[in-house]
Amino acid sequence: MIAAIGLVLGIVAGLFLEPTVPTWLQPYLPIAVVAALDAVFGGLRALLDGIFDDRVFVVSFVANVLVAALIVYLGDQLGVGSQLSTGVVVVLGIRIFSNAAAIRRHLFSA
Amino acid sequence: MSTTDEQSNADSEPPGPDIEHAGPEGEHAGPDIEHAGPEGEHAGVAVGAARVRGRARLRSAMHPRATRAQLVAAVLCGVLGFAAAVQVRANQDAGLTGLRQTDLVRILDDVSEREARLEAEARDLEETRDLVSGGSDGPLAALEEARARARVLGILAGTLPATGPGIELTISDPRGEVGSDVLLDALQELRDAGAEAIEVSTVDGPAVRVVASTSLVDVDPGAADHSSGVDVDGTTLVSPYRFRVIGEPRTLAAALDIPGGVLDVLSQRGAQGVVTERESVEITSLRAAPSPRYARPAGEGDGS
Repeated sequence: MIAAIGLVLGIVAGLFLEPTVPTWLQPYLPIAVVAALDAVFGGLRALLDGIFDDRVFVVSFVANVLVAALIVYLGDQLGVGSQLSTGVVVVLGIRIFSNAAAIRRHLFSA
Repeated sequence: MSTTDEQSNADSEPPGPDIEHAGPEGEHAGPDIEHAGPEGEHAGVAVGAARVRGRARLRSAMHPRATRAQLVAAVLCGVLGFAAAVQVRANQDAGLTGLRQTDLVRILDDVSEREARLEAEARDLEETRDLVSGGSDGPLAALEEARARARVLGILAGTLPATGPGIELTISDPRGEVGSDVLLDALQELRDAGAEAIEVSTVDGPAVRVVASTSLVDVDPGAADHSSGVDVDGTTLVSPYRFRVIGEPRTLAAALDIPGGVLDVLSQRGAQGVVTERESVEITSLRAAPSPRYARPAGEGDGS
């Protein structure tokens, strides 16, 4: 419940504060958002599995974001940034889907 | 302490509502769920139990409690929401700052290409505009040019009087030896020498403006004597003849004076040609401009 409230608060803050994204962050922010989304879905699944652990959640959240950003950064340095970004998004998308499927099985048995 | 109680409460709640959903799972599920025992021998029972546990955990998680796990999850979800919102907003702004170099190069190419296309279009439109509006003094300038052109053409066509430097050629033919052939030779020679306007006449008699269509015919072709005169465009001229010619005087005089030229032929036939160079020759005889019956200016007629 508090997590949902936090999510809503974050969205509202982002919409109303309208902060400018720093230039150095701009290529990584979308990937970081997708990675964080993956971590949140994973956390939700763990919660339903009864194995949710806040420490694991924090570590996976931060690590996901950092690794995704690192891959994109490496890709940019190698000249394959757009392709690697696509790859990261695909992989994270697959993970989100599988987590969502697990959550769905938990909640609807289907 | 209280947490445990709530969780146990939450665990004990589900059987009531879940029984309603037990229909599709068959008869086995009913009793098993009534037991509320998660450990069943049947697979369907396990699924149902997992669902129960999942919902229970979700429900318990929805209870706002200030546990560390909830707070951490809230903070991280807040970060996610904030970042997502910011990213969506930045994406809607569609600025170029976040794009990669290759994308920027492609966009630049597109823009350059588009610019070239639009510039070409603008040039075409400007040309059309200039044609239509003609600028500030366009129509006047065009009219003036057309008038000047009409004057030049009028002189060439013999519809306008002309004046300028030139020569006068007088041919006196006491023996009647000069016919249309000699006069025609003289005309051709003068034209070759750059004569711009020519008038032929009997001295102190009627004058005829010489134009492109001028014809010279002997009045009495069969006679050995040409004293009966020459018919020039329907006007009979007799000796002595006089040519008034506008052009470069020295060139015209030299053209007539060459060996074997007009003056030579005249003296061979016992006639006399006199060339006088003049500062100013006036040609006043006119010719009506013929209006063609069949020919039309090409490219201007509308065909109707």
